[in-house]
Amino acid sequence: MTKKNSDQLYTDLLQNDRIGKPSNAIEDRLMYSFMLKNSRMKMKQNSFGHFFGWLFSSQSLAIKTGLVSVILFVSLMNNQINIGSGTISPSDTIFAKRVLVADSTSFIQSLDSLRTDSLN
Amino acid sequence: MIFGKKNRNFSDAELMQQIVSGDQAAFNTLYHRFKDRMYYYFFRMLGNSSEQANDFLQELFMKLIEKPESYNPDYSFQTWFFSVANNMCKNEYRRREVRKEYQTLEALQTKLDYISETSVEPEQLLEKIFLTLDQLGEEHRAAFLLRYREGFSIKEVAEILDLPEGTVKSRLFYAKKILAEKLEYLKEEIEF
Repeated sequence: MTKKNSDQLYTDLLQNDRIGKPSNAIEDRLMYSFMLKNSRMKMKQNSFGHFFGWLFSSQSLAIKTGLVSVILFVSLMNNQINIGSGTISPSDTIFAKRVLVADSTSFIQSLDSLRTDSLN
Repeated sequence: MIFGKKNRNFSDAELMQQIVSGDQAAFNTLYHRFKDRMYYYFFRMLGNSSEQANDFLQELFMKLIEKPESYNPDYSFQTWFFSVANNMCKNEYRRREVRKEYQTLEALQTKLDYISETSVEPEQLLEKIFLTLDQLGEEHRAAFLLRYREGFSIKEVAEILDLPEGTVKSRLFYAKKILAEKLEYLKEEIEF
């Protein structure tokens, strides 16, 4: 009869040792925890926290100054171009225009009338 | 099972990388790959308690969820994972140590009941082996389990237990020596 090596005996014994399975509830709890951690992480990624942090920090001051200057310039230019727009005048603007604008045809007419008068 | 089908062929380290980026399917695959092995380790290391083994298994995987980036992919995942599990057991022993009296080797020699039966069932033999290992201490038990149950090399066991290889060898030698004395009746069949 051949003798069995003790290492082999322990390996065989331990590897065939059956003690049962872990509880299934553990898997459910772990999956829930993973999902919870994942959702927290995604919320953090989508938040504006990082952007505001950068905005109010002292880093990249040159970029921030440049951006503010551009915004100010654009807004000022915009105001100058559309001056008076959006304001409601109490008078009838169409009528006011008629009064204020010089009608050159009427000048010609009067001149003509003067000439015809002198000819008569 | 919802998860885990597409991840079957990934290595442990690859799965860990996916877990870091929030892949739940990867976590599920890794859990199914290791749950039985880790459960067995905790069960045998913590006094054959299924309740404690379940608690420790959950805690171990919770650590993985909370800090997956603590694993360095340059090293073996198995070795790292078992070393985390072993550290958890060590902490538990420290907690228990407060209440436990120190057992001297002399006391151990008198306490161990020698197997005298001429034929023993594998279950009985295992029971005797773990009883002996329990009395030897957690260092011997851990080395024994990692070597013979998990099939790790001496070098890997040394890495897991954070010990020199020589110390692991001597612990295994000592455990086997004590066990050989207990299994004296099997000397006709086994070469110790």
